[in-house]
Order: sequence, then structure tokens, then C-alpha cells
Amino acid sequence: MRQLGDALTLEYEGRNPLLVAPLKASLVFVTDLSRALAVAHELDFLELAGYDAAGPGIRLLKDLDAEIEGRHVLIVEDVVDTGLSLNYLCKTLRLRAPASLSVVTLLDRPYRRLVEDLPIAHVGFTVPDELFVGYGFDLDERYRNLPDLHVLK
Amino acid sequence: MQLELPAFRAYRGTEPPRFASPAELECAKVLDYYDVPWEYEPRTFVLEEDEKGRVTEAFTPDFYLPEQDLYVEITVMKQSLVTRKNRKLRKLRERYPDVNAKLFYKRDISRLAERYRLDLAS
Repeated sequence: MRQLGDALTLEYEGRNPLLVAPLKASLVFVTDLSRALAVAHELDFLELAGYDAAGPGIRLLKDLDAEIEGRHVLIVEDVVDTGLSLNYLCKTLRLRAPASLSVVTLLDRPYRRLVEDLPIAHVGFTVPDELFVGYGFDLDERYRNLPDLHVLK
Repeated sequence: MQLELPAFRAYRGTEPPRFASPAELECAKVLDYYDVPWEYEPRTFVLEEDEKGRVTEAFTPDFYLPEQDLYVEITVMKQSLVTRKNRKLRKLRERYPDVNAKLFYKRDISRLAERYRLDLAS
């Protein structure tokens, strides 16, 4: 966390970034990251609808409170996997003309990527194809509160 | 096999897709849900020809994602199928080094469908 915080502090010095965290799994990560950032910044949250094959397609359940036009936006993801939902998020936010848009993710599974063209600037850990709980990651809304990441067996 | 098709939003082909399996249909639904443009079996790649130039082996990946310039082949985990498809992908890459293609497991589609339970589609 300190390494990520130091790198982002250098990168965003004087730029007052807006940290955007998709709910809910990235909640713990973004709060720790925020405390590791030594530059002024703001936090905002959004939530994407869960997959529903019969539904109308992906959409925002909760939108940002802040306007992002001209802002430096940093999406704080829990995990990037296929990149499908992050791709949607990036396309949606780019339409609002931020000054910059990049992504920091706690976990990454690049070998499962279907969408490659994503602005992922910082990765905490590249992880194997395992399921994790704890540190914000859940299984049916349980285990988010565990302080550390655990591999689900 | 006749599969009932929903109205796709992100499909970029001209003819209605004729999926060979429920796994392909599920993958199409996932791509559609995430608004990723896709085509179904738009191109067949010649892998081998005999001495007279007749095609002896070809490969038609299931999906093409134009925004990613990526061909995707769907497979189930059955090892014989995975081995055969991996061999075809290897030949494809040897003969068409500029073509991006990858194998996507049916297991991965199931996980996508459970995104909010297992948080895997980010």
C-alpha cells in the first residue's frame, strides 16, 4: 500500500485527483489507498448493476456525486479480470471529458483479459486464478470484513 | 440445435448468429450485457493445404471483438477439446502472426454470470 501511495503521490502532486471506487469490493482498498496518498484528493463512489442475462444491459445503479469534466480521475478497482465492466466504466466516464482517466487495481488477472485497451497504470498484485475473500471481497456478502485476503477453497 | 435468441444490442454481424452450443449463446449474452461489440464466426482461417492447394484444415473462431481486434474461441474444460483447440490456436498464430486470438473457457462464462457473487468480471 505504501508503494502504491508513494507512486500515486508523485504522479498526482498538485492535480487534486478524484478517486472513484466502484462499490462494494473496492471499499476497503480505496480507504487504505486514500490514507497512503500524501496529496490532496477527493473520493467518490459508483455502483454497477450486477449481471442479468435477461436484463437491459450494464448500467449504473449509483452515479458519481461529483462532476468530473476537467478533473484527474483515478478509478480504484478491487480486481481486473476480463476487463468487461472496467471497459464499460472507462467508456462511460470518458464521455464526461475528464482531464485524465487511469486505473489502479489491487488485484490483476491479465491472463483472463478480453478487453486489453484499458488505462491500468498501477497494479497491487498479479494473482493466480483463485477466488479471494476478505479485505472487501465477499462471498454472498460475507467475509468482506476479514482484515486480510484469503484464497477461497 | 435451435436456440432461442434475444435481441442483441452489441452484435455487429449482418446475419442472425446461429450458435452451435448454449455456451456460445451465454458468451454472446455476456458480451452484449457489457456492451462490447461482437461478431459471430466472421472469418475462417486456412491452417493447412495439400500440395494441390486444397484446404485440409481450417479454423473458424467463435467470436470476433472488433474494438479489441480479438478472436475468441469458446471451449468447455474437457481436456481433449482444450488440447485440440489449443493446437489450432497455435497453428493460427504461426500462420497468421498478426491475428490476436484466445481461448475462453465455459467455466469463465459461468463465473462472469456470477459476477456480483464472486466478483470476477471487473
